[in-house]
Formats: sequence, structure tokens, C-alpha cells
Amino acid sequence: MALLTLQDIGKCYRQGEVEVQALTGIDLVLEEGEFTALVGPSGSGKTTLLNIIGGLDAPSSGHVHLNSTDLTNLNEAALSDFRLFQLGFIFQAYNLVPVLSALENVELIMVLQGRPLQERRERAEHYLALVGLKELMQRRPAALSGGQQQRVAVARALAAGPRLVLADEPTANLDSENAAALLDIMHSLSHEEKTTFIFSTHDPRVMDRAERIITLHDGSIIGDKRN
Amino acid sequence: MSRQRSHMPFFMLVKLAWRNLWRHRRRTIITLSSIAIGFGLAVVSIGIGDGSHNSMIRNAIKLGEGHLAVQVPGYLEAPANYKYLADGHSLQAKLEALHIAGSVEARISLQLLASSANNSVGAGLEGMNIVSDPRVAMLKPKMIAGHWLEADDHRGVLIGDGMARKLKVKVGGKVVLMAGTQGGDSQAQLGRVRGIFDSHVDELDDFLVLSDIDFARRFLTGEGAVAEQLPVTRFSVFLNDPDSMAQWKGLIQSAMAGEDVAVLDWHEMMPQLVQFIVIDDAGNYVFLTLILIMVVFGILNTVLMSVLERTREFGLLRALGLGRYHLLLLVMCESVLLSVLAVVIGWLVGGGAHWWISTHGIDFSALMGGEMSIAGTFMDPVIYTELSQGRVIQLTVIVFAVTLASGIYPALKAARVAPVAALRT
Repeated sequence: MALLTLQDIGKCYRQGEVEVQALTGIDLVLEEGEFTALVGPSGSGKTTLLNIIGGLDAPSSGHVHLNSTDLTNLNEAALSDFRLFQLGFIFQAYNLVPVLSALENVELIMVLQGRPLQERRERAEHYLALVGLKELMQRRPAALSGGQQQRVAVARALAAGPRLVLADEPTANLDSENAAALLDIMHSLSHEEKTTFIFSTHDPRVMDRAERIITLHDGSIIGDKRN
Repeated sequence: MSRQRSHMPFFMLVKLAWRNLWRHRRRTIITLSSIAIGFGLAVVSIGIGDGSHNSMIRNAIKLGEGHLAVQVPGYLEAPANYKYLADGHSLQAKLEALHIAGSVEARISLQLLASSANNSVGAGLEGMNIVSDPRVAMLKPKMIAGHWLEADDHRGVLIGDGMARKLKVKVGGKVVLMAGTQGGDSQAQLGRVRGIFDSHVDELDDFLVLSDIDFARRFLTGEGAVAEQLPVTRFSVFLNDPDSMAQWKGLIQSAMAGEDVAVLDWHEMMPQLVQFIVIDDAGNYVFLTLILIMVVFGILNTVLMSVLERTREFGLLRALGLGRYHLLLLVMCESVLLSVLAVVIGWLVGGGAHWWISTHGIDFSALMGGEMSIAGTFMDPVIYTELSQGRVIQLTVIVFAVTLASGIYPALKAARVAPVAALRT
């Protein structure tokens, strides 16, 4: 069943006097539970596409449907709430709120969702245990390694129960061991939870684990293959 | 289907704001200290201002005409010896019937010429009850020669050291007091100097002659008054509770309905003192404004810097689903917490200093020298701070309002963060 549908997405922005066409005619359908990598050279439009899918940026043309919701019709406040309840984000670095502990960071989105204390505490502890950080959950980000911080970000993204997780180069700052561990965790969770993942990445380790690889070049899809 | 909305509980808002405040512990402590010390200084400065003003007012009321005065209409604008309350006896009975919480003193004020064998000077004779009048408590300790008047002394007068020097008289010397009458004649009484006072207020020491009221009343009978009716220039009312002045003024006015009298309060009797206090207060408010400007820049600097440092974090929070409104609330909450701390510490610093000065006082006599007169009234050389409940509320509310106002710009800046741009930083 299609979770995400992109119809003829175009994105154009101005850089000084120059008009830059970041995306052109993107048509894409993603099914529930897919583990997909967006690949392509720097400047190919990966992050722009992720931002548009996540409602962080608006397309210049086309439509983004997540289930029955057309994101392009939502105002800013509605988009913000949509992200909160439907999407999970993992960024390359600095994913966490520094003044909150790992547990509080994982709970944060669920607090904003209005979930009761007991439910969010159980879910947070469960996902932190899944990513192997239950023992360190009272630590603040500064007391965790880069790999541990990314695992907390994964736990946070998943604990809130999103339909879709968008990850922008999640392994870029990690060593091989940490990157592999993180990919294992996300891969197994995508299967267990039926959560759809989209990664933007240059990392061959991610590409190897992805079930579908979409290649972008100069803002257009030039390849779409399944591993 | 109804839209699911984000929800920021109060505890989470305060927890985030509180922890954000202490990210840069040293910066926050420096900001807090500067605001708290400034605020504490403002508290002490205003406390000293209020204390000295209240002391001046109390002295002016005791030395002058009380909280309220009942006298002939028009006397204040153009004082004259013939403007007196002819039937003091019946008016006093009406005042006593009110059972005023305080005291009522009959007084006679006259303008005349005081002469000795050596010189003559213009003088103001104040006839009063030489036992019960509040002036006794003020001036008796200021006697530098002779003694205070005895109860049955019908010739004795007291003069200031300035007048004694001008007339070249000493204790025991004779002073002739001469006044013109409304009819164009003149009348005189012989007084004998029983004592000399030095109040350090030139207006009093050079001009004032004190006597028993019966001595002064002789001049009123010379104007045609009937002595048995106990004529007086005014009744001065001293209230136990100065805050009840407006209420008693109304009651006295009602009781005096039909009588040809004016009931005036001390603001009306001493406009020059009111004006002095207004001008002096303006100086205090200028100081307070400078403190508030310091508070504004202190908070603006700390909160704005902390907002600018966290642009990426705000972008992250916006991406995760935190609304603009929540970011605005978060930064405003940080400003409020900063100001709560600053005001609490400021009150501890300023309140502690206020408590000490209000108990022990600060002795300004070395600074004031021999001059203890301001706006025509006696100024205590030892000043005690005073802060009314209204002042405490006023200062606290002003600092809070200013703090909130100074937090608005950083809060708006945080709320305007665009997630995509912020995440690129």
C-alpha cells in the first residue's frame, strides 16, 4: 500500500541573482515499511527532497501525499503538527537537545504529542533498550559518544510512532562499527514496526543495506532499483 | 477528522527554560549579579528618598500646622493678624465631639515686630499650649540656653539663636512685641526671654517667637476678639494614622458645615514641601530609569546571545514538531525565570541593606554641616530608609514588566527561525 506519493515535484530557489532548479519532475511512490536510500552526488537535491517530504520546505510545483494528506495544502502550524505526529527525523549530527538526558530526549516528542507519562516512559525505555542504551539513559548528550547520540536520535524518532522516518546522512559522522550497528538497529526496526525509512546518503554501507536505491542527479531521478 | 495538535506542558516549558538558563553558568551569574546589585541599589536609593521625605513630612507636620488645619478662609493666601476664629470655644467643642484619633491643638500665629534695646526684627509669634503641643517635643531638646516655658508663665517667650544674635538679647532679657491692628493702631506686649533654641533651621531660628497661647491671645483681644470665647488663628489636627487624613478631613468639613472656616490638609498648607518632594522624587526616578535600562540590556544581552547560539537547535525543535508559539513561550519563560531570580536576589541584597539602614540609620550630619533645613523644614541628620508596601509592589512590577518587554525581541527572533535554514547552520 502506498504510504508516500510525490507527483511532479519541482523546487526552484534564488541564489543571489541566479535561479537554481534544485528538483525537476520528481514522481515517486513509497510503500509502507520500505527501507530506501536516496543517493547521488552533492548538490543533486537529496536534502531538498527530504525537506519537502518532511514538510520543512515547500515545493515550487507538484504535490506530496502522505496517505490521504496533501502536505502542500497545509499551513505552517498544521505542517508542524503533522511532522510531530506522522514523521520522525534523524539528522547527520547535533540531533539532540543538549539540556535533556537521553531518556528525556526520547520522551520529548511524546510529551508534545500529549501522551501520558507512564506510556511515554515505557516506550522511551523500550526503544532505548532496543538501541542498547538503557544503562546510559540518564546521561546528557555531552556525556555520550557520537554513535550513542545517533542511537538516541533513532530511539526518539521511533518511540513517537511515526509512519515515516527521514534520515539525512545519519552515518556520516560515525565510524564503521557504529555505522553498522546503527543500520542494523534501523533495519530490524523497520521490519518489526513496519516503519518506512528514507535515507539520504553517500555512504556505501547504507546503500548495501538499503532495499531500494533511488539515484538523483541534478534534481532528477535517474535511477530506481531494488536490492 | 480533527487535526492532532501539539501540546507543551507547563512543567516541560519551565524545565527546558531553567536548564537553558544554566547552560552558560558564568554568563548567567554575571547577568544576575549586575541586575540584582542594580536593583538592590535602586531599592536602597528609593528607600532613602522615601525615608528622608517621610521624615521631612513628619517634622514639617509637627513643627508646622499638623495633618489638618482649621482656619479662616483666605488666611493661607494672605495671612493677617485680624484673620482669626473668633469663637474658638465652640469650634473646639465641635472638634472634640468628633473624637478624632489623634490630638487637636489651638494655635495663634501673628506677624509682628520684635524689638530689644539694641535692634528690631520682623518676627512670627506662635502661641500654643506649651505642654501638649507637638512642637514642644521637637524644640525642647534644641534649647541651648535658659529653659522651656513654665505652665503659668504669662510673659515668657522663647526665641531662636538667630533672633537672639540680631536683637542682642540673652536669657532674661526683655523683648517688645509690636503689631499693627486692622484699624490702623498698634499694640504691644512685653515678653521676657526664658530660653533660646537652635533648631538648625534658619527660617525658625531667625524668625520664630514661641509663647503660651494666652500671651498671644492678648493681641487678638486687641483686634476686638472676646477673650472668653477663646479666639485662635487655627486648630491644628495631628492624626495617629496619617493615612486616614482624607477621611478625617471629610468628617471635620461635615462637622464645620455652616461655619466660616476652611479645612486644609498639609499638602495645601505646605505646597513648597510637596513641590520639593516631587522634584526630589523625579531625581530618584531618573536613577531608577538608569537601573531599568541596565536591566533591559542585561537581559537582552543574555537571552539574545543564548538565542543566537541555539539557532540550529531551534531548527531541530521546529523540525521535530515544536510550533513557533512554543519557541516564543520557551524564550519568554527564560526571560521570566532570569528576572524572577534577579528580583529575588535584588530584594535579598536591597532588602537586607534596607533592613539594616531602617534599623540603624545613616548619619549624614557630617555631610550636612550645621544646615539641617530643606524646603523650610527640619531635616533629621540620621536618615532611615522606608519602603511602603505600595513601593515594594511598584518596584517589583516595574522590573518584571521591563524584563518581559526585554525578552520579547529574542523570543520573536527564536520563533522566526526557519527550520531548513537553521539546520544548515
